Amino acid sequence: MASAVSEAAPRPIEGAGENGWRGSGAGYLFLTPWLLGFFGLTLGPALISLYLSFTDFDLLSTPRWVGAANYVRIATSDPKFVAAMHVTFLYVALAVPLKLAFALMVAVILNKGIRGLPLYRAMFYLPSLIGASVAIAVLWRQLFSGDGLLNRVLALIGIQGPSWISDPDTSLYTLVALSIWQFGSPMIIFLAGLRQIPKDVYEAAEIDGASRSQQFWRITLPLLTPVVFFNGVVQTIEAFKAFTPAFIISGGTGGPIDSTLFYTLYLYQEAFAYFRMGYASALAWILVVIIAAFTALAFLSSRYWVHYDG
Amino acid sequence: MLYPLLWMLASSFKPESDIFSSASLWPSHFSLEAYQRGWSGLQVSFGQFFLNSLLVSLSCVIGNVISCSLTAYAFARLTFRGQNIWFALMLGTLMLPYHVTLIPQYVLFLNLDWVGTFLPLIVPKFLAADAFFIFLLVQFFRSIPRDLDDAAMIDGCGPLRIYWMVILPLSLPALATAAIFTFIWTWDDFFGPLVYLTDINTYTVQLGLRSFVDSTGKSDWGALFAMSTLTLLPVLGFFLAFQRLLINGIATTGLKG
Amino acid sequence: MTHAMGRTVGAPALSRRLLMTSMLGGALATRGSTAFAQSDLRLRMFWWGSKERAERTNKVNALYQQTNAGLTVTGESLGWTDYWPRLATQTAGRNAADVLQMDYRYIFEYARRGALLPLDGYQPAALNLGDFSPAAIDSGKVDGKIYGVSLGLNSTALIYDKELIQKLGLKEPSWEMAWSEIGDLAVEISKAAKRDRFTGLADGGRDEPALEVWLGQRGKSLYTTEGKLGFDDKDIAEWFAFWQDLRKRGGCAAPDTQALDRGEIDSSMLTLGKAAMGFHQSNQLVGFQALNKSKLGLTTYPNGGKGAKPGRYLKPAMMWSVSAQSKQQEAAVKLVSFFVADLEAGKLLGVERGVPASDAVRKVVTPTLDELGRTMADYITLISDKVGPLPPPPPRGAGEIQTILRRVNELVGFGKLAPTDGGKQFVIDSTAVLARG
Repeated sequence: MASAVSEAAPRPIEGAGENGWRGSGAGYLFLTPWLLGFFGLTLGPALISLYLSFTDFDLLSTPRWVGAANYVRIATSDPKFVAAMHVTFLYVALAVPLKLAFALMVAVILNKGIRGLPLYRAMFYLPSLIGASVAIAVLWRQLFSGDGLLNRVLALIGIQGPSWISDPDTSLYTLVALSIWQFGSPMIIFLAGLRQIPKDVYEAAEIDGASRSQQFWRITLPLLTPVVFFNGVVQTIEAFKAFTPAFIISGGTGGPIDSTLFYTLYLYQEAFAYFRMGYASALAWILVVIIAAFTALAFLSSRYWVHYDG
Repeated sequence: MLYPLLWMLASSFKPESDIFSSASLWPSHFSLEAYQRGWSGLQVSFGQFFLNSLLVSLSCVIGNVISCSLTAYAFARLTFRGQNIWFALMLGTLMLPYHVTLIPQYVLFLNLDWVGTFLPLIVPKFLAADAFFIFLLVQFFRSIPRDLDDAAMIDGCGPLRIYWMVILPLSLPALATAAIFTFIWTWDDFFGPLVYLTDINTYTVQLGLRSFVDSTGKSDWGALFAMSTLTLLPVLGFFLAFQRLLINGIATTGLKG
Repeated sequence: MTHAMGRTVGAPALSRRLLMTSMLGGALATRGSTAFAQSDLRLRMFWWGSKERAERTNKVNALYQQTNAGLTVTGESLGWTDYWPRLATQTAGRNAADVLQMDYRYIFEYARRGALLPLDGYQPAALNLGDFSPAAIDSGKVDGKIYGVSLGLNSTALIYDKELIQKLGLKEPSWEMAWSEIGDLAVEISKAAKRDRFTGLADGGRDEPALEVWLGQRGKSLYTTEGKLGFDDKDIAEWFAFWQDLRKRGGCAAPDTQALDRGEIDSSMLTLGKAAMGFHQSNQLVGFQALNKSKLGLTTYPNGGKGAKPGRYLKPAMMWSVSAQSKQQEAAVKLVSFFVADLEAGKLLGVERGVPASDAVRKVVTPTLDELGRTMADYITLISDKVGPLPPPPPRGAGEIQTILRRVNELVGFGKLAPTDGGKQFVIDSTAVLARG
């Protein structure tokens, strides 16, 4: 991971002075709050959870060292792990690109087309505001259940749909839809990125006679790549760790028939419903390795397509 | 788009037995009673929860904006030994599901005697514990042209002044984004307050809301939806206030000049 | 020097240094409660439940404080879903409240892991269970010792839409009906109601309490005293087949409709208007009635036919337990005793947590009840001679069995497994879970 990051990571400023503030001193000075937090608050609990993943910790009694037993079980004889992996990967593969594309589209429209009206922008963000409440669960039921809105529309053209939200073959897709619908955060970040692009760049392009779509592909998108990269990485990490939507919609069961058993939902069940915190910790660290691998790949690839420095 | 909000709003005026069984948005009869029950139905007035939430959320906004921008500046614009490893570790903290660090962290705060106070919710923000925002700001800082740093350096500016005079003003959209998200996410956060706040006088709104509902017994859904509606207002207000920074940021500060 | 300092600085510094050991169940005390222990006594009490329960509980605590100068009780309250993660976190951090509300399902997990205090030694001086029936006392026992004190009696109950069934001109379900009769009634209701995706009965195939009653009526139980499954794959296959047949006849909810039920009152088939009868607990009647327009009724789960055992039993709706970590154990036990034995406290609590187990308390409470409360109390009275003994306790790992039951029932319902294969699958999965513990 570190080597991958180094490819794309912050580069030194050219011509830095030898004995001036460009040495490590200034860097560590600025990093002090983070370092304090990292060593004081974050690292300890993380290492303890790593330790616990080699124990049978059950939340209440003293943990007993069990070696790699948890990891062995996950790798060899845990059908639920396989089911959860399947659900999670499918979710990541569908929800992340769709959500990002949608968020970018809306951000571009909001940035250019429609002027003013702050309330209008807020409206697009509102679905993300009420992230995980009973209201969402009820709405999704009213949209995607057997006699829900979607089926009533489909009935008009003679199609009888299933109860999308509670049919094991389709329930995951309703959660993908939920994720796309809550596109507010990446949209705002795209919008911030768009606002950061200097206007004179466009003015120059217009003088050269570039069309709107040419401007988008040749100017906007390349200049936006740092933000696209950020949103891609962060949304992927978040999607791997997705918990709340499944928890709300299925009431924490991951059903019907494990069709919405997200990885962290499974982890949560093991930890808090079945008192297997040791096992859950092992699950968590496997997830970390998987996410880290994907992130490293993203960083490796980024030097080919992410443009910094304006 | 707005249906869940309308549904919530409608439910706050409906009689209890209509909320889940009827799909209609229009209440069969209209009543403000749920707002009264919600506002003053618990031992502590809901206004107290608003104050608590405001205190926590605003503190977190200040903490996050300061500490994350400092950290991001170091990663994006400075060079130091071990930079890549620190950066990787920083990103790594995004990846571990919080469920498994919850208990060790709780024990840590318990030993610091912070459990039952707002400190476990606020202090981490001042120590840049939120890698999301560091990474966000790093990405934005890095797209600011380096000529500006160099020019400032030639003028004799040190890193602190470059950070303050060049980077921050040019990153207003990103900083506004960080402020908006921090406020909203802290306001909406439920798990942190659930674990660390035990005295009802210190409850945040999210914890207060959950006090109306017990899935196994008799809940006050009307009060829940009434207070949920009110709870959205500060968030909306904050969003509207800060999005101006987000939208106007660069256009007015300008890169020209 | 450093050595000496280490000693004098004492527990806090030590525990910080040994953060890991202390959190990992070490014997080090954390400070939390000791700070208040010197002059004034402070007890913390933690329960799940809603606003009304909090109000009633706080009133009892205020009353108790009046007669016990220098003692403060602080209450903490959350909904069911949020209660358990916080309790687990606090217990793991050695910072649990002194008095805890416990559920029948979780008390075994907590007691066997040493988190709760055995209460036997406090009887009768501090803990007055004088007029509890032996059955009520036993229901709070884990492996022979008392860990929980019943806050109210409860039992499984079929909750149904009384108004609708009357309107349809059909017979209301009653304790005299057997499984097949309830099934037939459900089919009749579905037909008469003529509503889209509406059935007479919710799918009970996934309900562990329903399965337990059904097994009990055949002289079996969920678990044996040795902690193994108390039935075989043929029994459970028959159970799945009963429900599959009822599904086909349109008597119980279709699998995709039933899957909308997240196991909570607000998403139950009854509340969503998808079924007229559902499998629940008697103390939930109040919660159900609040969300349902029609008048609801309450009766037993179906019986096992002539001569069959009752299958059902009286269990505590919830219990008070005392944390093993409490610094003021005796004071905590006395408070518990006040809640269950004091007449004034009983009046304040009503039947909100279930019908009081103490005879004396029940006598003073009954006249104060409203109609719903009376229905619940009458129900407990009605079934008190129609209940069997407590079944063998659930072994470690049993908490996961209901998840397996729900999953396999869905596999059968969605047509992915035949009932006989479902039976085999269930036994394989459950055995594996129980072996894992």
